[in-house]
Amino acid sequence: MTKPKQLLEDNVGKEMLLLANESIARGVLEAGVRLVALYPGTPSSEIGNNLTFMAPHIPDFYFEFSTNEKVAMEVAGAAAVAGVRSMMVCKGPGLNVAADPFFSLAYVGVRGGMVIVVADDPSMWSSQNENDSRYYALMGNMPLIEPSDPSEAKSMLLQAYEISEKLELPILFRTTTRINHTRSPITFGPIRDRPKKVEFVKEPFRFVPIPSVARIRHSWLLKQIELAMEISESTKLNFTTGSGNLGILTSGVSYNYVVEALSALDINAETLKLGMTHPVPEKMISEFLKRHKQVVIVEELDPFLETHARRIAQLNGIKTNILGKEQGFFPRTLEYSPRIVIEALSKILNRNTSINWKTIDQKAGEISELPPRPPLLCAGCPHRATYYAIRVATRGKAIYPSDIGCYTLSIAPPLETADILFDMGSSITTACGLAEVTDQDVVATIGDSTFFAAGLPGIANAVYNQHRISLVVLDNHTTAMTGHQPHPGTGVTGMQEKVPPLNIAKVCKGLGVEYVKTIDPFASLADLVAAVREMTTWTRENHKPAVLVSIAPCALLEAAERRKTGEFPPPYYVDSELCNSCKRCLNRLSCPAMYLDTETGQAVIDQTMCNYCGTCVAVCPQGAIKQEDA
Amino acid sequence: MKSDTVSIVISGVGGQGVLTLAEILAKAALSDSHNVRVGEIHGMAQRGGHVVCTVRIGAGARGPIVDPGTANLLVGFEPVETLREAHMIREDGCVLLSSHIQYPVAVSMGKAAYPNNKEIISGIRKFSDRILEFDAMAMAKKAGSSRVLNMIMLGAIIGTGLTPITEEAAIDAVRSTFSKKFESINIKAVKMGRKKVEELNR
Repeated sequence: MTKPKQLLEDNVGKEMLLLANESIARGVLEAGVRLVALYPGTPSSEIGNNLTFMAPHIPDFYFEFSTNEKVAMEVAGAAAVAGVRSMMVCKGPGLNVAADPFFSLAYVGVRGGMVIVVADDPSMWSSQNENDSRYYALMGNMPLIEPSDPSEAKSMLLQAYEISEKLELPILFRTTTRINHTRSPITFGPIRDRPKKVEFVKEPFRFVPIPSVARIRHSWLLKQIELAMEISESTKLNFTTGSGNLGILTSGVSYNYVVEALSALDINAETLKLGMTHPVPEKMISEFLKRHKQVVIVEELDPFLETHARRIAQLNGIKTNILGKEQGFFPRTLEYSPRIVIEALSKILNRNTSINWKTIDQKAGEISELPPRPPLLCAGCPHRATYYAIRVATRGKAIYPSDIGCYTLSIAPPLETADILFDMGSSITTACGLAEVTDQDVVATIGDSTFFAAGLPGIANAVYNQHRISLVVLDNHTTAMTGHQPHPGTGVTGMQEKVPPLNIAKVCKGLGVEYVKTIDPFASLADLVAAVREMTTWTRENHKPAVLVSIAPCALLEAAERRKTGEFPPPYYVDSELCNSCKRCLNRLSCPAMYLDTETGQAVIDQTMCNYCGTCVAVCPQGAIKQEDA
Repeated sequence: MKSDTVSIVISGVGGQGVLTLAEILAKAALSDSHNVRVGEIHGMAQRGGHVVCTVRIGAGARGPIVDPGTANLLVGFEPVETLREAHMIREDGCVLLSSHIQYPVAVSMGKAAYPNNKEIISGIRKFSDRILEFDAMAMAKKAGSSRVLNMIMLGAIIGTGLTPITEEAAIDAVRSTFSKKFESINIKAVKMGRKKVEELNR
């Protein structure tokens, strides 16, 4: 709700409550970044959501929603090679998509500062894995900086650009969900000017890593990392705080939990907090280990710092007892909390925890199982109608490869139309593989933004290799799950300019798909079922891919529009005279706006939640669901 | 945590305005120069599912996470979602419970049972006796819109007197955040929520 406009204020010293993502968007201004390219991905989404509305008001600034992370990395990488400050932003799995240019960028280096913001997602609040992106820094030899809170997200970003330019290397800037989505007071600093244009000075034997160049650049990179090590030893990003016999080595969000745990347990310890975690300051860590008999390593996910500490101890013949994940004091999965740190420290120091969690857990266990409330497709979501039709048309017997977006929620009963998912775009390509080795029908679904991000190579593959797959593109005119960002099919750019939208049906035809149809999922449910049936029959008979584009805007956007205009259609209701309590509407649609009245046994439409899609009308065999007259 | 920190856990259903309430609380706290942290969950977790937000106010607040047994205040937008987070509350903590039920789909489909009010209350009582129950949805509708449910809860939080947030600061935060169009009904809802809790506490 922080308005992007507020982030633009040239008001040094102003204090605002900001998410780390908003703090980073503000940092873009304060660092004089000339170009930002990204593909939205939670938990990093609000960085782009703010920048897109800030961008038109910032002179000499360019922002784009790239088609995917690989593209974004290349767009931003080239800008930094040319000599301006640039930024690329992605979620953890997004860096996997962009891994190819990531490694090359470290070899060729940059002239202007470049920061790659990667938002990891411990606990997988909205990701398909919790891979630890710190290993990319290690593998690609790119310096790594990790803030611990929204305030550091901005201050360390400014330092990251300084270090990037000193080393001529991009910086990997890693956050985690509990940093990205934490709000705290942030103080504004001065805004830095950006160059209007720069001249690209050619240097092909640096920037084109043919083998003879790459061999030279690899040695150069290792030398730069030695220089980076010197920075890591001296920078204030790495510091110790407190004193005591116990040593604690930590970084990122875990640092806060360490501070809170020490306070809760009222114990003294010296904490080494690392902001620069590749290369780690080896001398600093070595001295720290020597000072303490016991050093506890506190870091979420993999034992990254722990492995470094053990390596450094071995190299220097240090006998300090290093305690961490290897001995089971800390978990390797899910996000941490003060409790996890308190419990581990209590175990190590052989004392009681500050709170008796055993009793609390026991009491919580005594409460009988509560009805689950997982996330699900919104009331009025066009995907519900489409999935209902897919299920009916294929009698639930086809294989349903799914993809990344809101629509993955169709995994839940009663729709149950998500059977396999790897990553962005995999609906189409897993369908190709399945179609070759089974006799079952294969009906894949992909969203419009994902279609442009990662669907096109899959379609070309299906056409070229003649795979008998049916693909339904769920086109709701937005990137809904991450907060409604535009994409190539929307006709709006990251600079908020109107451009001709790419037409999904035409793109498919252009790629050689012979069977391409479009449909409005709300026009007629019977027609929608027939369209899916026709497509699957065609695919089976022709042994080629077919595409059906199901087009209707996201229900959340429609609802927001209605609230803005104040114009609401007449409400839907269940006619209690006609309803025979068959519960078909409840059991087949699982619409959150419908529930069972336990007294009458009839379905009820919650007027405060209904989004007026009318899908339930067609599902009721009694014709009991009606819309009031206008 | 230390007594200089007030921890609030807000639990509800995606779309009820849980995140908005958390931000308003934090804005109000900051405007009175309190240190504050808000923990939010966005993205897939938000779509109509169970949503939990945390607000921590005071010098000791570093991270956003509230551990079980440490919340001073549990703000429940819905009965089952309140019980789901009941283990977060301190023994001397206070629970605000809106009694309006929003049935999970699993219940509508007959695949799960919704606990009755007695089960909800006795479940919460395992952790704290201080439960203030009221129908915030009915109050919101009375104020003018079901969408101001979170403003009723905002008023209720102020009414407990357990946070350093003043009504003035909260209303200023409401004014600076929402459009003028809904200002009067938002403020009306805040005042109704406060009055209700003060009556219940009497």
